[in-house]
Amino acid sequence: MSEQSKHVLLIEDNPGDADLIRLRLVEGSHPVNLSCVQRLSDGLASLAEKTPSVVLLDLNLPDSQGAETFRKVLAKAPDVPVVILSGQDDEALAIKALHQGVQDYLVKGDICRGELDRAMRHAVERQALLRSLEISRKQQLEFKNQFLSHVSHELRTPLTCIHQYVTILLDGLAGEVSAEQKDHLRTILRSVNQLGAMVHDLLEASRAESGKIRLEPRCVSIVDLIHLAANMMQATAQEKRVGLEIAVEEAIPFVHGDPDRILEVLINLIDNAIKFTPADGAVTVQACRVATDPEFACVSVVDTGCGIKPEARALIFERLYQDPNAVDNSRKGLGLGLFIAKELVELHAGRIWVASEPGEGSTFSFTLPLYSLAKLLFPVITYQNRLRDAQVLVRVDLRPRTKPPRGNWKETCSRCLELLQHCVYLDKDVVLPPMAAAGPEQTYFVVASTDLNRAEIMMARIREQMAKLAELKASAEFEVSASPLPRPDRPGEPSLELQVADVADNVTEMIRAAMAPPQSSA
Amino acid sequence: MATTKILIVDDDPDLRQALKLRLRANHYETVHAVDGYSAIAQAYKERPNLIILDLGLPAGDGFVVLDRLQADDKLSDIPVLVLTARDPQSTEQRALDAGALAFFQKPADNAELLDVIRATLDHNQTGTLLPS
Repeated sequence: MSEQSKHVLLIEDNPGDADLIRLRLVEGSHPVNLSCVQRLSDGLASLAEKTPSVVLLDLNLPDSQGAETFRKVLAKAPDVPVVILSGQDDEALAIKALHQGVQDYLVKGDICRGELDRAMRHAVERQALLRSLEISRKQQLEFKNQFLSHVSHELRTPLTCIHQYVTILLDGLAGEVSAEQKDHLRTILRSVNQLGAMVHDLLEASRAESGKIRLEPRCVSIVDLIHLAANMMQATAQEKRVGLEIAVEEAIPFVHGDPDRILEVLINLIDNAIKFTPADGAVTVQACRVATDPEFACVSVVDTGCGIKPEARALIFERLYQDPNAVDNSRKGLGLGLFIAKELVELHAGRIWVASEPGEGSTFSFTLPLYSLAKLLFPVITYQNRLRDAQVLVRVDLRPRTKPPRGNWKETCSRCLELLQHCVYLDKDVVLPPMAAAGPEQTYFVVASTDLNRAEIMMARIREQMAKLAELKASAEFEVSASPLPRPDRPGEPSLELQVADVADNVTEMIRAAMAPPQSSA
Repeated sequence: MATTKILIVDDDPDLRQALKLRLRANHYETVHAVDGYSAIAQAYKERPNLIILDLGLPAGDGFVVLDRLQADDKLSDIPVLVLTARDPQSTEQRALDAGALAFFQKPADNAELLDVIRATLDHNQTGTLLPS
């Protein structure tokens, strides 16, 4: 690199200082191509245009002072080495800058022959070294993930084989099996399933670590998810004679999250609670709104188990952590469950923590952001500081003609949602984000600022457009309906925000009723 | 009543045998293929009512098989269920996009797999599908 002429960007507003630097650069042993600007804004613009070999930066400029100056430069060009030109009196600041990623500093007026040249060369070399370190760190992480993904795939094949033949024996497909033999086979099956769960956790933890978990956020009823998780874990609880109950008292608005991932968090926490609770104990799942932060819901899994010592509480969400004093020591698992739960909750912008005393049981809690319908509705149902005259909830049901659905169902659904977006007036109507659904059936809702008569026009438009959609014709049937939303009837003169909140509550209530599963289905 | 024929495509002989036992116990006739190339050949020769396809295969992996089936007018109507040990996060959507009807990760729940097989076949035999 030293053979080529170096491009140096000098950001310095004092013409005298700039001249001195220019002089030193000319004396230097290497040819230098110097651009000089006086304002930070010009410097940042120049950085965006062309990447220099090194930046020489004065901290006190007409449009930026002190630490702010180098932070902005580092943010703009994190890979370019920066050498600070500091005054006699702000050396302390220059040292602080070194800690934050600046490569070197020189005290103006004190720069001797060769020093500038050397500082720049070292800055460039150190920066290159840092970059290659970072690249190699990323490569190693990538390698580890590929390795884990490969291993878990290879482990799954023999695991599947054991699973298949055990179930073949258990189901009597290879001849009659005695009751005792069946018992043993069930034990094998249970262990195989545990092994399968571990392989899954291994992959999930490595994904979490490398930021490869993709969330598909939806509008989700957390209460429904809690019921689902509790149903799935009921057998495990019964086997250990641990009671598993749900205690949700209030109506909780929808949360904004990925239903599969939230379910995974719930199952991890419930499984953990059952594991550390002795027979005849109880595990209770609770949910409420967070009193101090109304934009979040809080879910807690409370057990009557052995509790956690304070020193363990701090470590319990670390990967691979296992309580050395755990009662149930025979089957500890990999120690990844709580780590995965923490990563998943944090991906949702929530928090997770534990409260516990040894011998008194533990409460694991996590928060999830509530889905703010009011925020979404505000711009479309208000006009010139008042609520628009009428609102209608339009409902579009989409059902596959076959099970499993023909073609790419996910794609069909997203095409349908796209089409809905085109059928509404952006300033008066809003298509709500898709609801989490247990099966392939999808229900979409539109809040429209209109009365029922005019809603008919919109519905006709939707029907007409959907009938034209080729994917839909082949694979789905649909239904479009509408019902008026009740006007908020708070006494007095409620603020516009309160009125919108009331409409949002009404919408939530109507959607909840519409989406409630029929009692007969499993 | 004509028997229903299912083509099992998997390179692992033990898994093929297990699936065969399971399907025969449920009164399905089975044929098999051990790689991507013979999967297409068998699909031509046997004209199965349904294909259960592994993704990691020698001589043309499962995605190649899906593409070849889709591209062939005579074979594109055969429903395909993917059954694989691979990570769904990186393969499920791709398999569905390529024309698979459903995706199962190994080890799959037997009851669930059989349910989907039954539903798919029922539907194909009653022919309620609109011509597209």
